[in-house]
Amino acid sequence: MAEFVTTTGAAAPRLAVSGDLDISGVEEFLSHAGRLLDAGTTAIEIDLAGVTFIDSSGLGALVRLQKSATAGGQQLRLANVPRPVTRILDLTGLTELFEERPDS
Amino acid sequence: MPDRPRRLTHDPKRLAAITAGVGVVLTAAASWSTARVDANSEHRLLVQQTKQAAAVLSTAILVLEEPLSTALSIQAAAGRAGDRAAFTRFMSTYVGTGKPFVSASLWTRQGDRVSQLATTGATPALTTTSPAGRSYALHAFEVKSPSVRQVTAGGQPRIAWALADPGSGLAVYAESALPADRHAPVARDSAYANLDYAIYLGPRATDAALSTTDVDPSSLPLRGDTARESIPLGDTTLILVATPNEHLGSTQSRWLPLGLLLGGLLLTAIAAIAARRLLRDRSDAEADAATITALFEQVETLYAQQRDLFERLQRALLPHGLPAIPALESASQYVAGAQGTEIGGDWYSLVALDEHRFGFVVGDVSGRGVDTVAVMAQARFTVRAYLLDGQSPATALEKCSHQFDISTDGHLTTVITGVGDVRTGEVTMANAGHLPPFLLDGEIRPVDVPPGRPLGTGPAHYDETTIAMPPGSTLFCFTDGLVERRGESIDVGLDRLAATLSRAGERSVAELVTHAVDTLRNPDAPDDIAALALRWEGPR
Repeated sequence: MAEFVTTTGAAAPRLAVSGDLDISGVEEFLSHAGRLLDAGTTAIEIDLAGVTFIDSSGLGALVRLQKSATAGGQQLRLANVPRPVTRILDLTGLTELFEERPDS
Repeated sequence: MPDRPRRLTHDPKRLAAITAGVGVVLTAAASWSTARVDANSEHRLLVQQTKQAAAVLSTAILVLEEPLSTALSIQAAAGRAGDRAAFTRFMSTYVGTGKPFVSASLWTRQGDRVSQLATTGATPALTTTSPAGRSYALHAFEVKSPSVRQVTAGGQPRIAWALADPGSGLAVYAESALPADRHAPVARDSAYANLDYAIYLGPRATDAALSTTDVDPSSLPLRGDTARESIPLGDTTLILVATPNEHLGSTQSRWLPLGLLLGGLLLTAIAAIAARRLLRDRSDAEADAATITALFEQVETLYAQQRDLFERLQRALLPHGLPAIPALESASQYVAGAQGTEIGGDWYSLVALDEHRFGFVVGDVSGRGVDTVAVMAQARFTVRAYLLDGQSPATALEKCSHQFDISTDGHLTTVITGVGDVRTGEVTMANAGHLPPFLLDGEIRPVDVPPGRPLGTGPAHYDETTIAMPPGSTLFCFTDGLVERRGESIDVGLDRLAATLSRAGERSVAELVTHAVDTLRNPDAPDDIAALALRWEGPR
């Protein structure tokens, strides 16, 4: 199971995820992250430092979040991505989707 | 001796008649049930091919709608008066002989008044000055999707498209020509050349709604075994009805019932003649129990041969996992996740594209449950249809990337797909975020097929990688359920797979797949597994 800690007040509100980000935790993750987006800041951060495992549903949740952020003119930043998660993002061709664009 | 043989031996003719009677009944039953199996598998193939044709048709519709919605966006950006010159310039690419549309117009609406701002190409069948044109235009502003109708211009049938933007009060209207007699044959080399079809515009397949067909329109509706698919088209639907115009399955399955009937009758005749001759040759047959026993054994052997023949041929008829492709040994396996979890979205396909080329697909839809399987079925049919239609692996994935959206269906789909040639062993692959396949050619290593984005993330571009498989080498494709474990890096799982495959030694591909799946599957893991192995035997 995954756990979620939200920090607001900073320039970019941050959601720290720890544990297994998989099919069982995806809905809860999206509802926490959705609340951050609703606050309307220009950017939000997802801190993945504590993530021990991510499955395809977890990746799907990150993609959905990225798409809703972009649609609302907001920016999604992934922070402290652990090495195994970086490797999965590379293997699934998703790295480019989460790269920060200099013009945004 | 039991009664029966003694009684039968009284009359050689009677024994022959009974033998023949039983033989004919068995033969008829075998032949009938084989014909039923063939008819069932024919229907399955028909439904599958019709679904594929419908997927290709949906894409064709998108291709037609695209310029209309682009033209409308450009016009809406120019304001309520539009930009007539820009409209004519933009639509000229799409209007004319051999192009998608014969005419295109720009309409504007103010209150209940509708008027034409610009038109290009042939004279349109509907204009805003006619009452029919006006009411159609007002309707187009009411519906959100494009409004599609069948119209006629000078006896010439056309399809009319109207796409309106209520915000700017502008609408783009275009007409595509249909053949005068609605007759449009399928190219002989098309993947669908073995289907006769009729396409209807609207919710009902009536003569009046007929759009196009490849048969004589007066012979409609299509009879015999038919399959039907509805394809959404703007504010209406297209109905595709198809029937096979030749046998879709193997020729073996087509001739099997007849072959079985002739073979069975021949065996029966031999049995009957043998029975008669044996009896006549022995004047003391009545007393000779040994002869009677031999006779019955012989008759029984003949029947057993007939039954065995029937059973073996019927087994050969039942759908196999994979099609036979010359010089290619293939095997596959699907394993559902741990008990108690819902069904997942992993799949594999192998198709013969022509005499020498084959296409393969292994994919994984994220999530579990019925909607996952629905997305899986859509992905499976769509990728297959593009490969069968002659698209390269990268183009097939690129076209698919326009048709899946995680924001609406909630799923990511990873796909590895390739096209190979059994004459050269060359395989060209493209990858939508899927784990790399392994090549086993003495060494075992992942093939670097650079991943593009998974389907569902939006329109994407894919690169192709071509490898030359050495004769006897094996390409092993799989889904993440085979290698992924909680608490370890994916690379540990990939290394474990490589080690497992190396221990499989010189096994057949079927044993290789079974060995890998049995060794690596974790009975408690929820994820499902699909694996497909292809061994190229070398040039023939």
